[in-house]
Amino acid sequence: MIFDLELILDSIPQMLMGLGLTLQLLFLSLALGTALAIILLLMRISGRWVLAAPAMAYIYIFRGTPILVQIFIIYYGLPQLELVRESILWPILREPFGCAIVALSLNTGAYVSEIFRGGVLGVDRGLKEAASALGLSARQRFIYITAPIAIRLSLPAYSNDVVSLMKSTALASTITLLDMTGIARTIVAETYAPYEVFLSLMVIYLVLTWMIQRSFGWIEKRMSRHVRSEI
Amino acid sequence: MSDNQQDVIVQVENVDKFFGDFQALKAVNLTVARGERVVVCGPSGSGKSTLIRCINRLEAHSSGRILINGHELTDDVKDIDAVRREVGMVFQSFNLFPHLTVIENLMLAPKLVRKTSKTENRELAMEMLARVKIQDQAEKWPSALSGGQQQRVAIARALCMNPEVILFDEPTSALDPEMISEVLDVMIDLAKEGMTMICVTHEMGFARSVADKVVFMDQGEIVETGPPATFFDSPKSDRTRLFLQQILSH
Amino acid sequence: MEVLTGWWDDFFWGSLVVVKLFFVALILTVLFGLIGSAAKLSKNRVANAIANGYTIVFRGTPEILVLLLFYFGSAIALTALAQVFDPDVKFVDFPPFWAGSLAIALIIGSYATETFRGAFLGVDSGQIEAARALGLSNLQTFIYVRIPAMWRLALPPFGNHMLSLIKDTALVAIIGLEETLFVAEQAIGYTAKPFTLYLVVGAIYLGFSTIITLTVMLCEKYANRHLEIAK
Repeated sequence: MIFDLELILDSIPQMLMGLGLTLQLLFLSLALGTALAIILLLMRISGRWVLAAPAMAYIYIFRGTPILVQIFIIYYGLPQLELVRESILWPILREPFGCAIVALSLNTGAYVSEIFRGGVLGVDRGLKEAASALGLSARQRFIYITAPIAIRLSLPAYSNDVVSLMKSTALASTITLLDMTGIARTIVAETYAPYEVFLSLMVIYLVLTWMIQRSFGWIEKRMSRHVRSEI
Repeated sequence: MSDNQQDVIVQVENVDKFFGDFQALKAVNLTVARGERVVVCGPSGSGKSTLIRCINRLEAHSSGRILINGHELTDDVKDIDAVRREVGMVFQSFNLFPHLTVIENLMLAPKLVRKTSKTENRELAMEMLARVKIQDQAEKWPSALSGGQQQRVAIARALCMNPEVILFDEPTSALDPEMISEVLDVMIDLAKEGMTMICVTHEMGFARSVADKVVFMDQGEIVETGPPATFFDSPKSDRTRLFLQQILSH
Repeated sequence: MEVLTGWWDDFFWGSLVVVKLFFVALILTVLFGLIGSAAKLSKNRVANAIANGYTIVFRGTPEILVLLLFYFGSAIALTALAQVFDPDVKFVDFPPFWAGSLAIALIIGSYATETFRGAFLGVDSGQIEAARALGLSNLQTFIYVRIPAMWRLALPPFGNHMLSLIKDTALVAIIGLEETLFVAEQAIGYTAKPFTLYLVVGAIYLGFSTIITLTVMLCEKYANRHLEIAK
């Protein structure tokens, strides 16, 4: 197989035009999804059944179905409902970009909330007991003891989830958005050169993955300074 | 082959063992005759475990010769497997297979290595469990047994292969004090039945009453070898004397 | 629900395709995972490098891109090959079913590689020594001691890989395999009820996820029965 080098050099700048959109999808959904995850987490550990049960059902449904189906339900499905078309959210849900953000945030929120829960469960009981013995209230214990330790414990899994989310942004191309994958698919449809275009794009995504992992590696290192200073 | 040579089961000749730059064994010589009971002792890091791990090739020695029943241990896989069939081993941490029941632990090697029938293996296994007085635990999982019971199962598992010699690598070191004697009793019974044994152990009472020969190692060398009476009552080397003082003082 | 009249059997056959895809890809996933972990654990530098490259690429690029590359890439190659024999041929493709199961299995297999590698390393070395001391050969030790012990450690994360696998099967609709999502798209063409129909697809996948979750739970219970305190 001979690679068309000119085509590769030609298509990479074109695909990078979609980088902005890919990054917007990633960062917006990550911020919204993480906020949602915190709400879900607090509902789950609230100890109140009326709050915990809906959160569990939500997580179960969003983790149990493909993200592509979720995107299709939101983008193609919701406009079928008059309720949605007349709601204040319609300006967002009318646009493919809004739908992609909504779908990715809802999806990643479910996963991240489970990651955070793992972190909270991983906090040593003894520390919480020590905090209560010092007279800290339940809220104070959570904010000053449990949360900081849980964040540190969840960080490796969270960074994996950011990579997963970055990969999921490529699915926005299925609802007409021209992110990097969307542009690549257009180029392939015109040139019929899947190897050159898709392989180059894979390299671009690998660089993004690497950058995400490096950043989290750096954050983890900073956050575990207390461990090293003991040595 | 002369009669004399046939009676030798384990022969270690001038064996060195290196782990990188660290020399764990220095020109070690040891001969064990059929039916002989040898206790190897010495401070930790003296190379005693390395020595018996070399005898069934869990570690490969660096130079010198090791002969088991006349077979020399080389890199030849067939030879190693043949030797291992004649040498049983009991580990400090029992190493029972956790996913198999007690009796399945005993039946695995006969099935795979000797390819005998299932009924035969079951009979043999029950017989060996009776020998270590634990036959009523046959269908349990190893994790349900106490440490002493697990170690007795491990001994029965080694016996199932009908070995010519059994190596014990600190068999009681991982046990709670109250369980040590139940394992030692089984070992004493085996010794009485004429089993050839090489035991690495700190149990000096066992050495005194059971061993034909006590070997003292320090820093990878065999410092002193002798029958227990001489070894304990009139040790020749200062290093032996120091070791005995330390170990017998508590 | 009358929207679905006449489409039930299509959804049934679509689900059957998902099941077939799942099992074919599952077998390949286990295979790739075992080969990959063996290569990562081997002392051979070339094997290490290949396995590392494999996991980096397939864990770091979007699933949809891998799938598109496999499908269109193989079609290009096959068409070129066919044109050698018959210049009139316009387009020959690798069956979407096989392109899909191969792509999905390679992706999930890269995750399984890491899982199996960790599990193999987690097996207590004392058990392996005990097997060797009893005279079991390398192969026998591998089959009767290493695999059963490793499998117990790998089961919980592998359960998650199976959930990812079933959800990734939805992507194969993009390359035209007639599974549930594809059936829904066709039905929408007639009924104009996208919300209802995509919801049906979601429900089908939720059912599959539930079955897998329950199966994994049963397997874990069976695998860990030796840890239950005997009466």
